[in-house]
Amino acid sequence: MTDIPLATAEAAVAGTDTGRRAAPYLPMPRTAARAATLAGAVISIASTFMSWTYTTDFPGDLTVSGYPGGLQIMTLIAAILTGVVALGAFGTPGLRWLNPSRSPNSVLLLALATLGTTWYTVIDIAAKLGGFANLDPGGFVAFIGALVLFAGALGLPIDRRPQEPAGAEYYELGRFEKYAAVVRTYVWLREARLHHSDLRVADARKLNPWLQRLVIVVVYALGLKILTFGLATDYSDIFIGYLIVVAVGFWGLGASGLLKQFQQLTHRNRRFSATVGVIAAIAYPFVQNNEHWANLGVSVLIVGTVALGLNIVVGLTGLLDLGYVAFLGVGAYAAALVSGSQFSIWSGVQFPFWAAAITGMVAACVFGVLIGAPTLRLRGDYLAIVTLGFGEIFRIVVRNLDGVSGPKITNGPNGIAQIPDLSVFGYNLGDNHSMGSFTLGRFANYYLLMLLITVIVVLVFTRAADSRIGRSWIAIREDETAATAMGINGFRVKLVAFALGASLAGLAGTVFAHVTNSVVPDPYQFSGPVPPNSAFLLAAVVLGGMGTVSGPILGAALLYVIPEKLDFLSKYELFAFGLALVLIMRFRPEGIIPNRRRQLEFHEDEELAPGNRPMGDDTVPAATAGA
Amino acid sequence: MHTLPQQLANGLFIGSMYGLIAIGYTMVYGIVQLINFAHGEIYMTGAFGALAVYTNLPDGMSIWAALPLMLAGGAIVAVLIAVGAERLAYRPLRNAPRLAPLITAIGLSLALQQAVFLWYPHATAGKHFPQLPGDGFDIGSVSVAPGDIFLVVAAVVCMSALATFVRTSRTGRAMQATAQDPDTAQLMGIDTNRIIVIAFAIGGLFAAVAGLASGLKYGQIKYDMGFQAGLKAFTAAVLGGIGNIYGAMLGGVVLGIAESCASAYISNIPGMQQLGGEGWKNVWAFVLLIIVLLLRPQGLLGERVADRA
Amino acid sequence: MTTTIPQQPTPASAGPKQALLEASGVIMRFGGLTAVRDVSLTVNGGEIVGLIGPNGAGKTTFFNCLTGLYVPTEGTVSYRGTVLPPKPHLVTQAGIARTFQNIRLFANMTVLENVLVGRHTRTREGLFSAIVRGPGFHRAERASRERAMELLEFTGLAAKADHLARNLPYGEQRKLEIARALASEPGLLLLDEPTAGMNPQETRATEELVFAIRDQGIAVLVIEHDMRFIFNLCDRVAVLVQGEKLVEGSSEVVQNDERVIAAYLGEPFEGTPQSAPEAAPADAPESAPAGAPDDDEAPENDEQQENDK
Ligand SMILES: Nc1ncnc2c1ncn2[C@@H]1O[C@H](COP(=O)(O)OP(=O)(O)OP(=O)(O)O)[C@@H](O)[C@H]1O
Ligand SMILES: [Mg+2]
Repeated sequence: MTDIPLATAEAAVAGTDTGRRAAPYLPMPRTAARAATLAGAVISIASTFMSWTYTTDFPGDLTVSGYPGGLQIMTLIAAILTGVVALGAFGTPGLRWLNPSRSPNSVLLLALATLGTTWYTVIDIAAKLGGFANLDPGGFVAFIGALVLFAGALGLPIDRRPQEPAGAEYYELGRFEKYAAVVRTYVWLREARLHHSDLRVADARKLNPWLQRLVIVVVYALGLKILTFGLATDYSDIFIGYLIVVAVGFWGLGASGLLKQFQQLTHRNRRFSATVGVIAAIAYPFVQNNEHWANLGVSVLIVGTVALGLNIVVGLTGLLDLGYVAFLGVGAYAAALVSGSQFSIWSGVQFPFWAAAITGMVAACVFGVLIGAPTLRLRGDYLAIVTLGFGEIFRIVVRNLDGVSGPKITNGPNGIAQIPDLSVFGYNLGDNHSMGSFTLGRFANYYLLMLLITVIVVLVFTRAADSRIGRSWIAIREDETAATAMGINGFRVKLVAFALGASLAGLAGTVFAHVTNSVVPDPYQFSGPVPPNSAFLLAAVVLGGMGTVSGPILGAALLYVIPEKLDFLSKYELFAFGLALVLIMRFRPEGIIPNRRRQLEFHEDEELAPGNRPMGDDTVPAATAGA
Repeated sequence: MHTLPQQLANGLFIGSMYGLIAIGYTMVYGIVQLINFAHGEIYMTGAFGALAVYTNLPDGMSIWAALPLMLAGGAIVAVLIAVGAERLAYRPLRNAPRLAPLITAIGLSLALQQAVFLWYPHATAGKHFPQLPGDGFDIGSVSVAPGDIFLVVAAVVCMSALATFVRTSRTGRAMQATAQDPDTAQLMGIDTNRIIVIAFAIGGLFAAVAGLASGLKYGQIKYDMGFQAGLKAFTAAVLGGIGNIYGAMLGGVVLGIAESCASAYISNIPGMQQLGGEGWKNVWAFVLLIIVLLLRPQGLLGERVADRA
Repeated sequence: MTTTIPQQPTPASAGPKQALLEASGVIMRFGGLTAVRDVSLTVNGGEIVGLIGPNGAGKTTFFNCLTGLYVPTEGTVSYRGTVLPPKPHLVTQAGIARTFQNIRLFANMTVLENVLVGRHTRTREGLFSAIVRGPGFHRAERASRERAMELLEFTGLAAKADHLARNLPYGEQRKLEIARALASEPGLLLLDEPTAGMNPQETRATEELVFAIRDQGIAVLVIEHDMRFIFNLCDRVAVLVQGEKLVEGSSEVVQNDERVIAAYLGEPFEGTPQSAPEAAPADAPESAPAGAPDDDEAPENDEQQENDK
């Protein structure tokens, strides 16, 4: 389902339209453009060593000369990156590897990142402190430097869509096609679209294998560093600057082809990079040795894991489950009931963790089957609404099972509190444990436990997806009628997917109950002020990329961390989720991380591009693409 | 208060409301096979549209004079949103995989609900809604409030108007044809896009009527009222046989009566003493939905149709 | 699990002249429309049987009844003597595989994966073994892949094993559908217009392919509008008109039957009963479908529309 064929995306990707033209947005001589770009980068870098404002009222203290601080660091990093990538794009020996696609698009996008963060800072200073008068000369220099940089980049020969044919008609404009101005703007916009996704890059798999692994390790370490830097930002202004640089910067690195090369590497060394990834994740509580961040880490892992479970149902099998969080709730309540909490009706019962985990999974699985069995025989739409209903009913029932308006099981709105901490093989996760110079606090312990569960879920996901049953899920998603005609018992495999998704959520729920110490009905609803609610999970899956492993985890992390960091946004969170779902479905149905299948498709296009290889001879890429 | 006729009457009142909303689900589903999850929210915006008109009317205006204006206001808001959603969100996805419009619908629903929550003045809590004057009165042992009368009358009027429209007008017949087979209908010269827009518009209109009626009945509206009502109305549509407009109304009434009887009488069943009452009403509605899906997935008035292969 | 194509398991019970498929008295009604009226048809082992008829005659509907996609209103379908339940997956399990008129590949899966899905009924690995990945799993997976690659080799698609199905050209998509169907190791293959939209060379190649399939002991029931294809290929031809089986017999019998000519072929063939079977179809193909009764569009056009959807 990641590859929902939208007419436009389709034409852009799969069509024979590999036309491209290289033309600047701002006409200027080539050398002037290059000079301006480099000069802009240098000015921007220099400016970060100056003072930008003279009061320390602005967060981050930008008054120091000779030492960049706060948001200046964002400008500094972005400008340096832009500068070196630009040098690579201009063919400077020794730096060319920084821009494998040799496209100036990466320079433009990185320049945009620099401009974005710098101007954001300058304008933010002016807005917070009351006018541009509060800027020191350094601020103006930065402002101008970023502008020069960006203007220079606009003058480079940008790779973009070819010119529209003269007499082209635009039915999509409907009745607006009558207005020449509208059509002209539309044509201009169409021609302005960047077009670099299918540029060829040198094959990174030709590197020395050890070098390949070294690169992977370095990149993961860098990634961890970037991540922890972002999490450690302690005021929202710098986090916004960080987001601008990271988001636009990644886009730029994508245009440079570096990401594509990195993907080639991880694909070739799949096992190795997975191991390094897990090690990096384990390293997180040690690097970021602070309970607050460990807590954030656990939460992200929990929502990410649950989103990944949901992805089996939604992304692989194409079943819309709108009450998924209820299965998390079933797991959490089941675990709470057997946790030995004094508020549990079985307060004497205390299962060891493995038994509690199995209880949670089985309970969720049973509910999954109860909900799935009647509905999965019917058209997919019914499942959506029944699960939506189930999610709602779960909360109502749990609220009512308080001994007053129903039998006493869950303590109603008060929930089950004082859930004792887990103890795994005598290791009490509630206590601090010292390991050399590090102390692992409660949340760090739970983070590591949850990481284990995440790894399990990732393994289940990837292994199931690449097997007979996973193929039948995808087949059902693609065309249920054809799938059944191929001998697939649609009902059964859908039920397996649905129950598996439910069980994995139940498993995550057992840890969730212990991490939060208590279970209450409120988090388990369709939409609510705090994650994990079903809308949040669905948004995470859709934003990250349906059918992928890393997509939902990344999506959940973004959706969790961004509102956490920018608390003024949290009010608009649900609204944004809703709008995002609509817009993503419309404009980028594959999400942030396109499915391997989509990559495969890029791959094919690349190989089939005229001049690369004779048409009939694509056995080689087929073999190396390796399913 | 707890007599059987009273429960039946209560069920009829609330069921008429479910039925009015269910019409929107069923018409859209019948024609484009899409569950418009945002429909519950359209009902909610209809109610808020009506309230917005009322708040801006001069003081001292009689409620009877205000009523048509409120209805118009609610209808304009609801219809515009319904048609806008179709035009901007659903239509571009008409050939996309099934999941895409469903996700869009759920997103729209969330966005609409939150938009009212965030931007309608003071809508974070319930908003007071004007009431029809006059006290309730008794018919036999059944006590009835003016709001209930309005609801039933509105449902009957809307339903008969719709039935006449679908059966006799050109557009109505085109609608039936499109529901049968959109491609053939298009080949026969029917502008299916127009038909789809009309289906959304009628759904929006009925939802606005339901929104106004529910405001009058309960005296209060809230930004999240569309969620549950939407679920119920969808259940009603499935119960009656999705795609069938009479089924939607019938399903609504059956669901309403089942619900009110369940909350009144289930606790009399030995062993289920604690499972009655308001708190469990929704649970029983859901159980009913599951049972219907198990035993008669095509609904009360629906007929089983083979998917085209 | 066989690994080479020529060693297809052809159980002794289905010797060349033994009835493989027996459909008796199949009736399919959609509301008032009777798409298939009391059709009985037998396919024997090792046979290629053609099913022809004008557009809308009910050929595809009949296929759907055979494969369990539709539950016939009346009548039974049996395979190797046992009555088939109307469930598509059980039909495939029993040994009947099919292709679709409007190609229904798993568009976002690779060519190889499409064929692997076809192996579903002939492999057993469930979720548990997929997660544990014991040696048995790897063995089965490897065997499946080998078998799938053989089939791709057989249909000439091996070079494109890792392409997405939707990126294949049209003719290759049809071939992939055949490969996918063969992967289920059927005893009977149902082909619904396998050459629709193909150019003459591709049609010839498909003919070869069908012969090769038959040579492996797989019986074939094929729907086609291309008369040359049908009369070249088929041992027996059945003609369906308005849901009824008009005639059934050898190519010569059918192409000279008055009623068939009137209802479908439109004009008498050049070839007379006496002329050699090869000569007769040579002139026929282009004129035959074009001369179909006025109310039917030329099959090529119709096919085009089907695919545009
Ligand atoms: N699911 C369905 N519901 C209602 N009518 C149907 C359905 N499927 C097929 N029909 C009708 O049954 C008749 C036979 O259709 P069918 O597709 O079997 O014809 P066909 O012989 O395969 O024609 P063609 O050569 O065009 O493929 C048509 O009138 C069609 O509209
Ligand atoms: Mg057909």
